Amino acid sequence: MPSRMIRSFQGLLLLGLSIFFASKAANGQLTWYINARFIPLTIFGIIMLAILAQTVFTEIKRSRQRALAGEHDHDHAPAPSSLWFMLVPLLVGVLIPARPLDSSAFATKGFNTNAPLVSADSSALLFEIDSEERNVLDWIKLFNYEEDVTQFIGQKASVIGFVYFNEDLSKNQFFVSRFVVSCCAADGFAIAMAAEWDDAATLQQDSWVLVKGTIEAITIDDRRVPMIVAESVQEVPVPSQPYLYP
Amino acid sequence: METATTPNRLSRNLIVLVTFGVLIFVAGAMLPAAFFTWLWDRMNVFATVFLGIFVEAVPYLILGTLASGLVEVFLDRDQMSKWVLGRPAAAAVSGAFMGMIFPVCECGVVPLTRRLFHKGLPLSAGISFLLAAPVLNPIVVFSTAAAFGWGEMLAWRFGLSFFIAVVTGLIFSVEKEAVNVLRPALSLHDHEHTHADVNDSFLEKIRKALMITVDEFFEMGRYLILGTVLAASLQTFIPQSALLAVGSGPILSVLIMLGLAVLLSICSTVDSFIALGFVGTFSFGSILSFLVFGPMVDIKSVMMYLQVFKRRSVFYIIAIPFMLSLLSGLLFNYLSP
Repeated sequence: MPSRMIRSFQGLLLLGLSIFFASKAANGQLTWYINARFIPLTIFGIIMLAILAQTVFTEIKRSRQRALAGEHDHDHAPAPSSLWFMLVPLLVGVLIPARPLDSSAFATKGFNTNAPLVSADSSALLFEIDSEERNVLDWIKLFNYEEDVTQFIGQKASVIGFVYFNEDLSKNQFFVSRFVVSCCAADGFAIAMAAEWDDAATLQQDSWVLVKGTIEAITIDDRRVPMIVAESVQEVPVPSQPYLYP
Repeated sequence: METATTPNRLSRNLIVLVTFGVLIFVAGAMLPAAFFTWLWDRMNVFATVFLGIFVEAVPYLILGTLASGLVEVFLDRDQMSKWVLGRPAAAAVSGAFMGMIFPVCECGVVPLTRRLFHKGLPLSAGISFLLAAPVLNPIVVFSTAAAFGWGEMLAWRFGLSFFIAVVTGLIFSVEKEAVNVLRPALSLHDHEHTHADVNDSFLEKIRKALMITVDEFFEMGRYLILGTVLAASLQTFIPQSALLAVGSGPILSVLIMLGLAVLLSICSTVDSFIALGFVGTFSFGSILSFLVFGPMVDIKSVMMYLQVFKRRSVFYIIAIPFMLSLLSGLLFNYLSP
């Protein structure tokens, strides 16, 4: 391939990546891949990729001017083989429809009803959150750290998560699950709290639901874990931040 | 040479591709529909994990290659030789602390290290920089402190990373000729457009630095992509529980955590939060070895090392930190169970 063609390909790839990331940022899907606190870094990446693409296009223009002036073109474009690789993320992004991690990832990533999530912040802070404001992770943490979980029984709860059916539970029960992501989807691990609802059978695996009810404690694998006795279960769209952050 | 082999390789690749296509078609006609739902689900997990790592790593890779471009254009060799101390021990120690000035993680450190070598940085300093910088930098200090508090884990993580980086750097200082360790790099030739000229205007220098950034972004990017494909495939097809179930003895648990560090390929800026998830399941020593070894060696960084160093050197860059992390993990497990 002639040098200028390789450079054009390079510039287009940079521009393509920039546009791809920008479109993910615009439609809110970046949170399907990374923890929201890294979004500013991705924005920086989008801008830099655009600047780099612009630099390459300017270089092509200069090289053409040099050629017209009859000068020898000194630009040593890279081997085209190194460029094809950059097509991989673009193809994966365009050809495979985007979907946040769901129960199909449990097969390899597993899921926990009692994540040993020790964190610098103590569970004391969790007590200050109103019981209906606590998310799945908060409940799991509370049940993990508090010796006496009976104090939570009867508290009002309202959590969002995706539905997961599993043989650990009976017919009228299901798990409300979330992935917890520190950095990107690669480090995501799933947590789940049980829910009991008479019409559980009408729910679809992996559909997102808002479950409202009261807290009960049940025993799974010899551990006391939280369960919501649901008063209402409502289908909801995928939240703008499908993952929880530790 | 590249141009001579390209058409040949292209036709061979085409044949392989067509054969694969036919095989997949034939196999597809014979397989049950459940297999396709399974495959589709796996593809989705793969895509999300792959893009997760890629989206996360690209800004860091850009930062690293940008730093490399700026070093090339604004730092001359003479300046570098004034900075760098002559004795290998002093060079290795100062190399390990350079991460405090260049806060890069493992994706960005490789191109920057190669550039610094090109500018005359001694081997011992470069190797210890390469291994220490992803941990010994302000961002990682704070993220580790956020996860584990300002305590023992933080102190041991930084102490051990520093120690291992310096030791490995010193071992490399035995080799006097950098050519025996490094691979010749095409992009380091003095291009017309990359050759810094004293007469260049500031803007012209920036333009040159950006062109270097572009070329290195693609050069290193392909190894990042290759490593990410591998890491995402492993996560898609090998259950983590299988690894965790293998053993929890004092020796096996350290080996498992070292394996996990390589397999997960998590950025050093956040790996402490992941390690947090293993507290309770794994001992202090195993988690420490995960935090020390992970930033030095993982699938994507090994891919990038192979581009910069000769195979034999890459072996030592992996083996020395591996042995030392294993040893320190075991010591902790036996001395303070």
